[in-house]
Amino acid sequence: MKTDSAFLRLRAANPFADEAHSTADDELFARITAAAREPRATRRSYRRPVVAIALALLAVAVLASTAFAVSRWIGGDVVKPDVTQAEYRDAQRELSVPPGFAWPPLHTEPNSVTTRGGGGGHAVLIAQNAWECYWVQSIQRKDTGAQRRAHARLDSLLRNNTLVAPAGAPEDWVPANPPDRPYAVFAQDGGYEWVQEAYALAAAGHPQRLAERCRANAPG
Amino acid sequence: MRDESNRGLDEARFRVVFSHLGAVKAYALRRGSRDAEALAAETMTIAWRRLADVPRDDARPWLYATARNLLLEESRKRRATAVLAETDDHVPAVALREIDPDLSRALRALSAFDREALLLIAWEDLTPTQAARALGITAAAFRVRLLRARRRLRAALADPPDIAHQAVPQLDVEGS
Repeated sequence: MKTDSAFLRLRAANPFADEAHSTADDELFARITAAAREPRATRRSYRRPVVAIALALLAVAVLASTAFAVSRWIGGDVVKPDVTQAEYRDAQRELSVPPGFAWPPLHTEPNSVTTRGGGGGHAVLIAQNAWECYWVQSIQRKDTGAQRRAHARLDSLLRNNTLVAPAGAPEDWVPANPPDRPYAVFAQDGGYEWVQEAYALAAAGHPQRLAERCRANAPG
Repeated sequence: MRDESNRGLDEARFRVVFSHLGAVKAYALRRGSRDAEALAAETMTIAWRRLADVPRDDARPWLYATARNLLLEESRKRRATAVLAETDDHVPAVALREIDPDLSRALRALSAFDREALLLIAWEDLTPTQAARALGITAAAFRVRLLRARRRLRAALADPPDIAHQAVPQLDVEGS
């Protein structure tokens, strides 16, 4: 892997490096290994029937998973690039970007698949970043009307076009009943609240975090 | 006799897994665990109980994945019992207060996914393939995320956040 100065700087800043190399705890080791282990799944005297049953179950599972995968492919949560592109285009009709900004093209590999709703989610994130940058620009030029518009748009995006996944949900989580409008999904790790706070801070005259988000999340 | 011999082999094998205790504790600390020591011990207890499931060639991704699940559980309980008094629950899990302010700001500006991708490599010292296994995603997907995260980190560190003089990225480079 190539390295760059930012990454090297990050690597060197690890505040937990010493902790990672701390010596093992013999007492803890003894306590853990004194506990019972989970019994193994198979026992020698039943090996043959167990293997036969396991193979039968495996065959059923393969057939079932193939059927499930195909059903997901056809009508489920995974879609081909043309669907994602269509979602992205449709979302542009529902969402808006500020004056002076334009929707960048969405690049998708022809042989790729994406979670259903991914095109709309991408559009939400593009719009969010555009309005954040517009807000920063309007602060720089002291345009209070534009600042208010940007804040309102961003609050609306958070309120109407953002979902927070349940704790522990997988990264490709899709809601059971997806909304009709485009939506982006936040993991439940405090990120959503962090963004809300960035907007509140900017509205209160402390736009540094907003500016950092604008710069860090710009497409490209 | 055979049981004793098996147990000896299991303990020898677990000794190798257990050597990552410090790394798991550091990961838990980094992710903001309230009791990283207990969480690392719990991870190792699960590893011992389910030793047959722990990959023989490389235990670390399995350990991080287990620790991550415990962290999510811890976080869920914390939210369920959170009082209305001011807490730092809104702060992203990564403990950033101890590092230099510019770097801390740059990391906070990234999405949680991007930040996690970077720190699994930079601080947990995993390879992209190992990190992908720890997160339960494909190595290809992880590499894409990592590439993007590194680019964004560079951008976030490019210049200090002086709002009065900063250049705002132009988004209108290509029409739709």
